[in-house]
Amino acid sequence: MTGKFGARSAVIAGVHMTRQGDLSDEQPASVYWDVVKRALADAGLTLADIDGLIGPAPEGVGLRASLPGGVMADLLGRPLRFHASTAVGAASIAAGVGLAVMAVEHGMADVVILPTVSAGKGSGYTSSDRGAAIVHMAKLGTPYEWLWGTTRVADHAVIARRHMHEYGTTPGQLAEVAVAQRHSATLHPRSVMGAKGEITIDDVLGSRVIAEPLHLLDSCLVNQGAGCIVVAADDRLDRGRPRVRLLGYGQAHSYLDPCSAPSLTTFSGGLAADTAFGMAGVTRDDIDVVSLSDHFTINVIIGLEDAGFCKKGEGGAFVEGGALRIDGRLPTNTFGGYLSGTHAGQCGAFGLIEMVEQLRGTAGARQVKDARLGYVHGVGGVMQNHFGAILARD
Amino acid sequence: MSALDEKFLPPGDLPDLHKPFWAHLRAHSLRLQQCEDGHLRFIPSEQCGKCGSQAWTWEPVSGRGKVYTFTVVHRGPTPAYQAETPYVIAHVELEEGPRMISNLIDCTPAEVRIGMPVEVVFDDVNADWTLYRFKPAGEG
Repeated sequence: MTGKFGARSAVIAGVHMTRQGDLSDEQPASVYWDVVKRALADAGLTLADIDGLIGPAPEGVGLRASLPGGVMADLLGRPLRFHASTAVGAASIAAGVGLAVMAVEHGMADVVILPTVSAGKGSGYTSSDRGAAIVHMAKLGTPYEWLWGTTRVADHAVIARRHMHEYGTTPGQLAEVAVAQRHSATLHPRSVMGAKGEITIDDVLGSRVIAEPLHLLDSCLVNQGAGCIVVAADDRLDRGRPRVRLLGYGQAHSYLDPCSAPSLTTFSGGLAADTAFGMAGVTRDDIDVVSLSDHFTINVIIGLEDAGFCKKGEGGAFVEGGALRIDGRLPTNTFGGYLSGTHAGQCGAFGLIEMVEQLRGTAGARQVKDARLGYVHGVGGVMQNHFGAILARD
Repeated sequence: MSALDEKFLPPGDLPDLHKPFWAHLRAHSLRLQQCEDGHLRFIPSEQCGKCGSQAWTWEPVSGRGKVYTFTVVHRGPTPAYQAETPYVIAHVELEEGPRMISNLIDCTPAEVRIGMPVEVVFDDVNADWTLYRFKPAGEG
């Protein structure tokens, strides 16, 4: 006997990114439905088509946060067929693309939305009060970290310092990442920092030191915004729609407590990447464009090493000379990344959204020439959790 | 005066298995969990990540080690920490193996190097809590 489990084909069919920046005057639930509708429209679909959700429901009272599926049933006026979430920190929504494709290909849902929204006054790390958000993020770890006055920047600074010690990575090499991504941001109409113009290595090195060796311009933004991805069954889409598909996907969960991490310069991103590349049957050399979580410049250097785009310890040299620019050797974070593009909500979503634009050939002034195969690498926490995904257009 | 005018203290709701660590600190003794197979570990946890053992004792360690990595913080999380910038946060690799994070004190940030020998100091911050910090190791 043969069943129908795994018999369908899923498409990453719709994406949308709202205005990014200060959305503190907007209602989170309104922003949620707006971004969902626009992502559905991008796929030629409407609210009537949704039967699956990855991640949160719109904000509200009571049990909304813990039972998102039921909320959607209330608001859509019919039962939802599928809800799930995955825990890869700021990359959780993007990481959910694996679950979404599985749900559709196995017939558990036809149209799955993956939204992230940061708007309104907020609280915790989504607060529109920058100081409150920084305090919240400083205390995400254990007391054995935050008692000493750590911040998110300090948590990554110790990693950067150790990488410099082991491999001779320089502050100038870290700055290369920020410079290349700012250039890309200037070509994205909705990037937060694009309007500020390009920066130089000296600008990065001359910016305020937050936690040595990381400067302000080595660090991600603190901003609001929303994004949504729609994964749908191929047979629910019009023939003419662009079809971007997931060819391979893997996760890896590296550590939680930094004192227990076997290394502070090698993380398990390679395990996620190996699973994804093995599944897709392609190699690193085949990849035309990369999105890779960049909370700080060091993350990109270590991330590219761990994912196998260069040897361990050679990430600093790899990014030199504008290698990550749109016209560079390995265009990376072509929307500006979290450094210059946007770092809103579960911001991994924006790396995935950009990848879909690149593979469709709709990235406008920042289009990577002949981008056919993309690698998306999302990181949660301080290099703690990872997913790798390989995407291609038909 | 808000809560953020004071530096953070360990939370009152620490799981019970963490409490001996802090009780020993109060007596100025640095002790880490050691499983039946002799693996030392930090931070406190219910299971040894090397062998899966769920039985442990609290063993004294030397408090001596070397700086594994560090940062000098110029932008602290709250006003209480901001008042003390720049300060050093170091990951210290103890002679016995495990790493611990804390402040490195009694030295200027510019002196700090990876590999620098350090030793623990006990800081009785109030009637309830003793914190562990590190300072450059003394002679002999």
